[in-house]
Amino acid sequence: MLKELFYPESVAVIGASRTKGKVGRAVLENLLNDFKGSVIPINPKSDEILGLPCYPTILDVPDNIKVDLAVIVVPARFVPGMINECGRAGVKNVIVISAGFKESGVEGAKLERECVAIATKYGMRMLGPNCLGLIDTTSNLNASFAASMAHSGNIALMSQSGAICTATLDWADANEVGFSKFVSLGNKADLTENDLLLEFADDDSTAVITAYLEGIKDGPQFMDIARRVSKIKPIIVLKSGRTAVGSRAVSSHTGTLAGSDEAYNAAFSQSGVIRADSVEDMLDYARAFSSQPIPRSKNIAILTNAGGLGILTADACSTAGLSLASFEENTILRLRERLPPAANFYNPVDVLGDASAELYGYALEVLLDDKGVDGIILLTSPQAMTAVDEIATIVAEKSDLSKKPILCSFVGGTMIAEGERILNSRQIPNYSFPERAVASMRTLCAYSEIRGQTYNSPLSIGSDKEMAAEILENAAKRNQRTLGLESFDILKAYNIPVVATEITKTLPQTIEACEKIGYPVVMKIVSPDISHKSDVGGIRLNLKNADDVERAYHTMMSDVRRYMPDAHIAGVQVQKMVAGGKEVIIGMNLDVQFGPLLMFGLGGTYVEFLKDVSFAVAPINKDDAKHMVASIKTYPLLAGVRGEEPSDIDSIVDTLTKVSQMVVDFPQILEFEINPLMVLPDGQGCVAMDIRLTRGDE
Amino acid sequence: MASILISSSEKYSGKSAVCIGLGTILKRKGYTVGYMKPIGNLLVDINGVLADEDAEEMRRIFGLTDPIKDITPILLTENLTHDALVGVEKELDKTLNDAYSNVSEGKDVVLIEGAGGIGGGAMYNLSDPEVASKLNTHILLITRYDSVFAVDRILCDFKTIDDLDMIVGVILNEVPDSEYEKVTELVVPFLENRGITVFGVIPQDATLRSVTISDIIEDLHGEVLAGADHLDNLVEHYFVGAMEVNSAIKYFRRAPNSAVITGGDRSDIQLAAIEAKVRCLILTGNLRPSEAVLGSAEHADIPVILVRGDTMGTIERVEHLIGRARIKQDMKLNRIVELIENNVDVDTIAKTIGL
Repeated sequence: MLKELFYPESVAVIGASRTKGKVGRAVLENLLNDFKGSVIPINPKSDEILGLPCYPTILDVPDNIKVDLAVIVVPARFVPGMINECGRAGVKNVIVISAGFKESGVEGAKLERECVAIATKYGMRMLGPNCLGLIDTTSNLNASFAASMAHSGNIALMSQSGAICTATLDWADANEVGFSKFVSLGNKADLTENDLLLEFADDDSTAVITAYLEGIKDGPQFMDIARRVSKIKPIIVLKSGRTAVGSRAVSSHTGTLAGSDEAYNAAFSQSGVIRADSVEDMLDYARAFSSQPIPRSKNIAILTNAGGLGILTADACSTAGLSLASFEENTILRLRERLPPAANFYNPVDVLGDASAELYGYALEVLLDDKGVDGIILLTSPQAMTAVDEIATIVAEKSDLSKKPILCSFVGGTMIAEGERILNSRQIPNYSFPERAVASMRTLCAYSEIRGQTYNSPLSIGSDKEMAAEILENAAKRNQRTLGLESFDILKAYNIPVVATEITKTLPQTIEACEKIGYPVVMKIVSPDISHKSDVGGIRLNLKNADDVERAYHTMMSDVRRYMPDAHIAGVQVQKMVAGGKEVIIGMNLDVQFGPLLMFGLGGTYVEFLKDVSFAVAPINKDDAKHMVASIKTYPLLAGVRGEEPSDIDSIVDTLTKVSQMVVDFPQILEFEINPLMVLPDGQGCVAMDIRLTRGDE
Repeated sequence: MASILISSSEKYSGKSAVCIGLGTILKRKGYTVGYMKPIGNLLVDINGVLADEDAEEMRRIFGLTDPIKDITPILLTENLTHDALVGVEKELDKTLNDAYSNVSEGKDVVLIEGAGGIGGGAMYNLSDPEVASKLNTHILLITRYDSVFAVDRILCDFKTIDDLDMIVGVILNEVPDSEYEKVTELVVPFLENRGITVFGVIPQDATLRSVTISDIIEDLHGEVLAGADHLDNLVEHYFVGAMEVNSAIKYFRRAPNSAVITGGDRSDIQLAAIEAKVRCLILTGNLRPSEAVLGSAEHADIPVILVRGDTMGTIERVEHLIGRARIKQDMKLNRIVELIENNVDVDTIAKTIGL
């Protein structure tokens, strides 16, 4: 698809320069260093640059040279003109390195819009603007102004930050880490992470995809692509702007919203994306994937020459959700054969401080042979007798042949340096401390699950869509944006059980309705302007007779008028008082990046404080819904603790999938909440007690 | 020649709007319409002559050629109050009568707009009932119906008028949707039972309460940083962006016809507002936002205004502007005429005053 962007036969540099220190010179030099195709400098002020014939404009390049890719480094205000000329010259791919676009303000934003319009008009693809460029080690293309070329390897990286690109390149150079493709995304005016995900997925030289992102342009498409790609190769994303201060920094840096972190977590976990928390994590994980096979499951053997490191690693494994493998009998027998009697033959296996490289190799082989072991974490502490270099060499040999991952942590500094160098030279990562090796192992194991994951679309649910549509259309006609109890019927349209209820406008009507429903009743104010009824005295519980209702009616009206004098009061709603259930909340908020984000949590007084909620991007199927319910920390309270009767969890799952379908059916719903949903004991279902909905324009 | 004085219980009740609506409709019916505002209280300088802003606007709308000094014969200047307080005789009655007879000349009907509330001008013996009696005209009372207390105000206003035959009736203005049913079913019959004619019940209207972004800029002395092509957008509400970003988007989405007031350093809130497609962003404290944010605002066609004042002061100004905006845009003028046509019995008013 983007073949000519990564594998061009000829590249033009618009704004090429012979002046040292200029970007136009750096790009040209980088191209000349490794690239085998033809390089064409464009600059109206020169006839020749660095020995190459230079043309005044791209249109002046002779017809017999077909330019596949143009790298533009001229000042921003000239860029639209240059893209236009590229379009006229038939160039299909451009990289705009120049800054001064949307990131720099109003004028820049206009220029950027213009660039996209021109590129679209000519059917061109554009990387950037405001980027470092790209590197492809398979085609020896360095179309960037980075200080060095990447080593060849199988890690593909895209980054929304040019600085993270250059820092990573330099780090990778020191650690001999290689890349297949290295792309600086810039402002993502045209080409985005989604285009590159697809490209990297198709690229045979790429084994693992990494990305540093500050935002995602099209969330639903990202999820769709990631679901397909993550089954083929791992995707590791470092998404910044997680906290309030971080997201503010993203906003002022890129002029985009960082987005809600819950939505990113939900979307990533629903589409098989592995989330890294730091650059170090991202590169740690990438190196593990780059060099190691994927484990079948998560039973890990630890091999160490020091007890302390072994124990720390065992703890870290347990915290990370990895299991320590129980060895087969034969494994223990074989270990006993050669290891000194004081060694530990059980997991973690301790070969003791004086272990030779040969003994390490033997133990490693025995552990690899054990069918119950899915992966090995190998630890080395540099003790007086330890031949670190020999151990590294043996490990590297075994690693090359192994079908199970071996992650090394040679812990130390000066004394382990040579061992680390040997491992690096064989493309095997060394994790400076065991916890990093464990985190990477956990990620390898997680991917073994991701690879096997299936994403089933939810089954369609029977609903009266017309009725729901009518409720929303009527609200639109009244220009009403927030809907409440008066719109309870929207739940009925989706067969979500609602409490017996009636809306009334006067006291006599109210009493009549209460008599009909039967005491005890609950009375609530009905007003689209009031979202937290209890805060303004808009709820009266447990009214047992007409007298209770009359007094409650008068005091409630008086309270509400006092707290919210401007609120439009449509009447009151009386409900049957439901007892013996547990309150839960089902909500939805239209996320900026990913669309409808469903929320589930336990209700009641402490909910705001505990923040014990789970999220998922709609649409969700029954399994996703079950996962949401089971993910909250207070799930045991629903499942029943200490002989308590379990709640009807199936009915919650059912309601979640119905809400999912509703919000997908009606994208104009910006916000929705059933609060509370009263869940009755198992087998008795649930009932919605109250709703709130915010409607947007279609 | 017929005439009527448009009075109101309080300031900002919609006198000017009713004058515009009535006048336009009567003009369309073929009458020659005149206008005067005996006491000018919103002073502006029109080519070297002091005048009243409302009156000047009305002169433009009705295409009147009368001299400014006849349309607004008395200006509420410091001199005027001072002289009244120390008891200097200014012969205001004569000024009033002369201006009125000049303005009336060749007109079928003259609309006289009161100053402020019904009692305004009493210290010069020129409260609305006094002016009406001096000019021998009728009074039409406009009351903004915000709650049932408006009924108290109307009854109280009637008690200030000696000759009840002079007052022809009332118009209830800006009735909120939530009160509309109650007003037509209970309040109107109640007033009519007391012998008070209700000529119309005008519902609250978002377009009329709204204010253009240019008005906000003018009032706040703001600097436009982005979206300069969209300053005619109308703003109906305002939000203060001081919350966490994800809640901010929720709030802003509930009323997108809003201005969001926030600090220049709150880039997350600014982006949330852009995402929710609000009408404009007002950044306080003279803190310039990041250029990247401005780029996004420009992309989204959302004006960004930088003001010097702090957030609290800016909120007060904007709060004051919304709902009290003067009527300058054609869109608003057309809307007023439409509202009066649909909700006010203009024919009966005309007949009552002898047209």
